[in-house]
Amino acid sequence: MNLLDSLKAILTIAYKEFVHVWRDRRVLLLILVLPPFFTLVFGHAFEGAAVRDVSTMFINADGSSESQKFTDLLHTKDVLGALVEGSDNPDKVRKDINDLLQNLRDTFAWKPWVGDPKGPIDLVRNGADAAIVIPPGWGKSLQEGKPIAMRAVLDGSDTNTAPSVQQLLQQALFVFQLNERYELIKNLPAEVVDLGEQLSPETQHEFSSSLTPWEFDTEILYNPKLLFVDYVVPGMVGLILQLVTVTLIASTITREREVGTLSQLLVTPLRQSEIVIGKVVPYLFISMFLIVGTIAIGHLHFGIKIYQPLLLSVVCFLFLLCSLGLGLLISAFSKTQTQAIQFSVFLLLPIILLSGAFAPLSQLPGSIRIFSELFPLTHFCRAFRSVNMYQADFGFIAADLFALAAGAMITGIGAAYLLRTADD
Amino acid sequence: MFGLDFLRNFDSSPKFGLLAQCPSPKQSMPKPLIVLKDLAKKFGRTAAVDKITMSVGQGEVFGFLGANGAGKTTTIRMLCGLTRPTAGIASIDGLDVWRDRFRIRSKFGYVSQKFSLYSDLTVRENLRFFAGAYRQDHINDRVERMVKEMDLEPYRDARAAKLSGGYRQLLSMACALIHEPALLFLDEPTAGLDPVHRQQIWDFLYQVTQSGTTIFVTTHYMDEAERCTDVGFVQHGRLVAKGSPRELKHGLGGDLLEVHVEPPMAAVLELRKFPGINAVDLRSGRLRIHADDPQALMEQWQQHWPFPGLKWLGYSWAEPDMEDVFNAYAQGRHLQNQVQAAVK
Repeated sequence: MNLLDSLKAILTIAYKEFVHVWRDRRVLLLILVLPPFFTLVFGHAFEGAAVRDVSTMFINADGSSESQKFTDLLHTKDVLGALVEGSDNPDKVRKDINDLLQNLRDTFAWKPWVGDPKGPIDLVRNGADAAIVIPPGWGKSLQEGKPIAMRAVLDGSDTNTAPSVQQLLQQALFVFQLNERYELIKNLPAEVVDLGEQLSPETQHEFSSSLTPWEFDTEILYNPKLLFVDYVVPGMVGLILQLVTVTLIASTITREREVGTLSQLLVTPLRQSEIVIGKVVPYLFISMFLIVGTIAIGHLHFGIKIYQPLLLSVVCFLFLLCSLGLGLLISAFSKTQTQAIQFSVFLLLPIILLSGAFAPLSQLPGSIRIFSELFPLTHFCRAFRSVNMYQADFGFIAADLFALAAGAMITGIGAAYLLRTADD
Repeated sequence: MFGLDFLRNFDSSPKFGLLAQCPSPKQSMPKPLIVLKDLAKKFGRTAAVDKITMSVGQGEVFGFLGANGAGKTTTIRMLCGLTRPTAGIASIDGLDVWRDRFRIRSKFGYVSQKFSLYSDLTVRENLRFFAGAYRQDHINDRVERMVKEMDLEPYRDARAAKLSGGYRQLLSMACALIHEPALLFLDEPTAGLDPVHRQQIWDFLYQVTQSGTTIFVTTHYMDEAERCTDVGFVQHGRLVAKGSPRELKHGLGGDLLEVHVEPPMAAVLELRKFPGINAVDLRSGRLRIHADDPQALMEQWQQHWPFPGLKWLGYSWAEPDMEDVFNAYAQGRHLQNQVQAAVK
């Protein structure tokens, strides 16, 4: 039977390709060691998106008790007793305060500094990432009802750190101010309290509302702990597999071209499609093994939750097929192995940067995003995250799956077409 | 008459005493298996193969001769359907080599110029792979039989990379013959091999022809051309001569003059300048002279030896061999080119 013959022919090639990989110990080592190793290293590298140990110069040029108290707060001393006391829900406030103190402790690494609090501050030359100055007369300005601003100098070259530090400082100051307010109320003279009680109940309530912090009850969907690692691991796994599949398979046809076995292969009655499929099959098995391994590391080591494993398997399978097709196309197209590797590298570079593996695609301008859609990794990352983070169903990611399947078909057919002659 | 020629033939190739195995020259023209008509291949503006027209009969051992870069490999690759002819047509058993390339692939075997098997696979794995690729049944039996026939038994599980040049070539041939094709293309199968292995490969080729297989072989070893039933000379992509070795040698117009002079090296240089002499080769200490009219030259020299610095020791007549034929054609071509250049 014709189909059976084809199947036998495909298996003949697949077995041979598998033996090539199996006997090439260096490649085997590369395949088995690098993907899990990279997953661990990249995972840890991107695990903590949180800003930590920012080297911060600090000077308290004011001598007042207020400035000392705020200094203590920044240095994670609990000075917010009035806030807890005055609250209706002391447990919650207690917890929020502890979180804040922990955050402050993690974020800042204080650096003693002496200098002109009003003069220009150079961070780099002082080996610091930030500087906080309490200007002279700050405490007094608060008492006089004309608060002057404190000074924070931040390093904008790191786009992550500066906003995060700024936000934390604002938060600390807001809590500090609230605490001061409560203390003020607590220490109000009795006649003022009596006076207040003469106000209409409405006004009293409005007044007390204005003293209570208004807040959002924020509910974070999809990645409630805001763990960057949950976002980044699918991208990382995809990137590693993209790298491995393309470079592995890209040299298979060109190696045969270089050594001369391609001519030998093409004078046999093997069909081009049989050669292409036969070459893809063993690499498909190897890369499926790898993708399962790397995702398992993500799950076991980094605690990534896996939802809908069946749908994810489909995503992974089509992605690998498309990547292998792409590698094979490069392989059929290149004259030498060196060329094939060069092509792969030049192709992988935009894939790494534009596929949304590490940053959301929506941050890219629309015209660039058109390019992104050409890369299998883009569709993989989107589909994987949709399924795993947004619990999307098949219909939601159908477009991405279709794109991957079409990519696999087109590249495979292209590679087969290029195999019609052994012409150099 | 016929037998005598054969003996002379035997004498002229003393390195290989193969008389018994030599296929006898075909008396009647065999049915053509390969037909080329104005076959041409251009790479850019250079013509690698320039309108070759010829045919190769069934059961022949056809030697395709020419210098490196003459177009031998390109012709073979076109015949194997590996590269597309730019003009002309060629057919194998009536099927077009390009249009019907998928249909004729199972009919022939091809051993390419450089070693092109999978060097990380063992001898048997290579054979098994090609047996599978040619969609053969009973792969194990076939492979075992081929291993035995090719004397590859001691290396059956050795990686192809570890084989010596001769055994690699035998393995290449075994892989090309695993499907028992009716036609075998060999591109310089003996290049770079020692005489023992060359002998072994030709022995094997003769064995293959016993079952009626046609052989199309390129070589630039002229002593190997003697072993073919039919020979074609290709030069600058053109077929300049074709015929049996005997016909081609006869075409040279009689025996060649061999003179014995001392010192021989100096004599080669001196005689090459002598008018009427086209070429001088040194063979076993004698000078073999290709001249327009060797008889007249000899008579002239017997009356007066024009080289006082060279000592005359004697002369004899030698039957031309294929190397002489090749030189003559190469030389003729060369002269023709000079004439053309002069005319321009």
